[in-house]
Amino acid sequence: MKTLVLGLGNPLLGDDAVGLRVAASLRGRLPPDVELDEDYCGGLRLMERLAGYEHVVIVDALVTGAHPPGLVLCLRPGEVETQHSGSTHDVSLSDALRLAAALGLPMPRLDLVVIEAGQVLEFDEHLTPAVEAAVPRAARMVLELVAAPPKCAGAAA
Amino acid sequence: MNRITIDPVTRLEGHGKIEILLDPEGEVQNAYFQIPELRGFERFCVGRLAEDMPNLTDRICGVCPEAHHLAATKALDELFHAEPTPAAKKLRELFYSIFFATDHTTHFYALGGPDFIVGPDAPKAERNILGVIKKVGMDVAGKVLKMRRDGHDLIAKIGGRRVQPNWGLPGGVSRGITDELRQEILARGREAVEFARFSLKAFDDIVLGNPGYVELIKSEGFTHRCYSMGTVDEKGRVNFYDGLIRVVDQDGQEVLKYHPREYLSHIAERVEPWTYLKFPYLKKVGWKGLVDGKDSGVYRATPLSRLNAASGMATPLAQEEYERLYATLGGKPVHHTLATHWARLVELLYATERWVELASDPEVAHPNVRQVPTATPTEGVGCVEAPRGTLTHHYWTDERGVLTKVNLVVGTTNNYAPIALSVKKAAQALIHKGTVVTDGLLDRVEMAFRAYDPCFGCATHALPGQMPLEVTVRAADGVVVERLARGLR
Repeated sequence: MKTLVLGLGNPLLGDDAVGLRVAASLRGRLPPDVELDEDYCGGLRLMERLAGYEHVVIVDALVTGAHPPGLVLCLRPGEVETQHSGSTHDVSLSDALRLAAALGLPMPRLDLVVIEAGQVLEFDEHLTPAVEAAVPRAARMVLELVAAPPKCAGAAA
Repeated sequence: MNRITIDPVTRLEGHGKIEILLDPEGEVQNAYFQIPELRGFERFCVGRLAEDMPNLTDRICGVCPEAHHLAATKALDELFHAEPTPAAKKLRELFYSIFFATDHTTHFYALGGPDFIVGPDAPKAERNILGVIKKVGMDVAGKVLKMRRDGHDLIAKIGGRRVQPNWGLPGGVSRGITDELRQEILARGREAVEFARFSLKAFDDIVLGNPGYVELIKSEGFTHRCYSMGTVDEKGRVNFYDGLIRVVDQDGQEVLKYHPREYLSHIAERVEPWTYLKFPYLKKVGWKGLVDGKDSGVYRATPLSRLNAASGMATPLAQEEYERLYATLGGKPVHHTLATHWARLVELLYATERWVELASDPEVAHPNVRQVPTATPTEGVGCVEAPRGTLTHHYWTDERGVLTKVNLVVGTTNNYAPIALSVKKAAQALIHKGTVVTDGLLDRVEMAFRAYDPCFGCATHALPGQMPLEVTVRAADGVVVERLARGLR
């Protein structure tokens, strides 16, 4: 199975970098046939990035305000939207995936490992302590998903 | 005072909202577009090496990193007193033309286009890229995705990385291209020209062929008579990568023409107590509030304003379309906000033609792509036209090249005041005597600001990131009397 683990985020924007930090922590720890990469995109660009894989695990920051910072969740597409939210210049990932389906583009099974972020509005190269502490938990969740893909649900507080 | 609040960005809680203020009679008194803004980037940069800026600033934004990358690189040219080689200049502009074509394609088909192609009165659920595909046909979706794929692929091949390029250096770029790659770029560019022509034809058939849409474009509710800004080449024609900044008035008469490094002499920023945003305006004219007209220094920096500010397009097919746009809409300049979508397509055609022109020039593959700087760094300004407005980077350093001050004026910032004007007019058309706010208000306000393709510090894309709308109507005493929402969970 062609699998990709994709860390998303902005390395300069506080807790938004957590997906990248989780991906970095997984270097050398994934099975040899699992690809690991970092990216920055949402919506259409993300959908295009997913093409060609059978299973993709996306690791990203989540800002709901409903959870304590550092909570790690595993979600499926449709349970959360993703796009460059400060811009009208993108579509949501779910719209992009619907477009792919309409076009008959093969899309992978998609799991989202998300970490509730604290601070994503101020430029800073550091994670807040609660989110920093969540990196190993999120990494473990990714390793479990890669090992046994079809059971993504629940939280790791 | 009654207050209506539209909150389009719940992810950035408390930061992004449209506020429409009603007077005691229930009429729209004013409208403010308050946007989320990422804080502290300029401060974050101080103390770092200036040469890191192209790779730092292209992370401000995931939507137009290429624009930030080149504006930063051009600022370094000036800062280090290193004129790029002719091959480097051409290669940078080629890279930028490909980026522009890719970006404008996305906006038209996925974002702005749904308002027209699917129709402004269509249900919200259909006004998206899927609705566009349904209307224009599945094969078009394939063309759009191919255009984007080609663009991103070539940007990565030239700029070194798929999303943020790591290629610009003071005095040039880190590597050139082979002649083999030049030929590939040329071949894909020719296809891109055909795609751009197809897109204009689709606009022609679907939008211009519908009298109702043309009437909407020309309607007073979507018209503001602001000054127009854009970058022009030595012949006064639109250029995205380099040139002088030209500003024309409401009648198309030139009022300013200056080198980008002189921007502080011509542009000032108005601070209003009710928002942390600053509104740029023309110093020469002055600030008269959020109003249009010749007495108000409010200007627009958009695809339409770029066309207004220029004498024409530098490529033949785009020039034909430029002339047709003005002939159709009653002459130059045009002040209809929704015509920005059409102007964007004229720019798309220009970008693809320029892509072919530059890729046809063998010098673009010349290996001499760098003049190594030797002078002591001082101060530098770099400016490009980003897809959504004029983008300026300004750096100051000490003699070691360590940044002591940074100032950025990004594309959307230029348009804060006109966006507020557009939202106000859209609301005025639909709110009278405290009438109940309908879903049409949300649609109309969305249409008004989407034409600008605004980008509000979109570096972060943390989930969920949807763009829901929330309208809260408050009585003068602050009590919520009505609330409408769309897309909220």
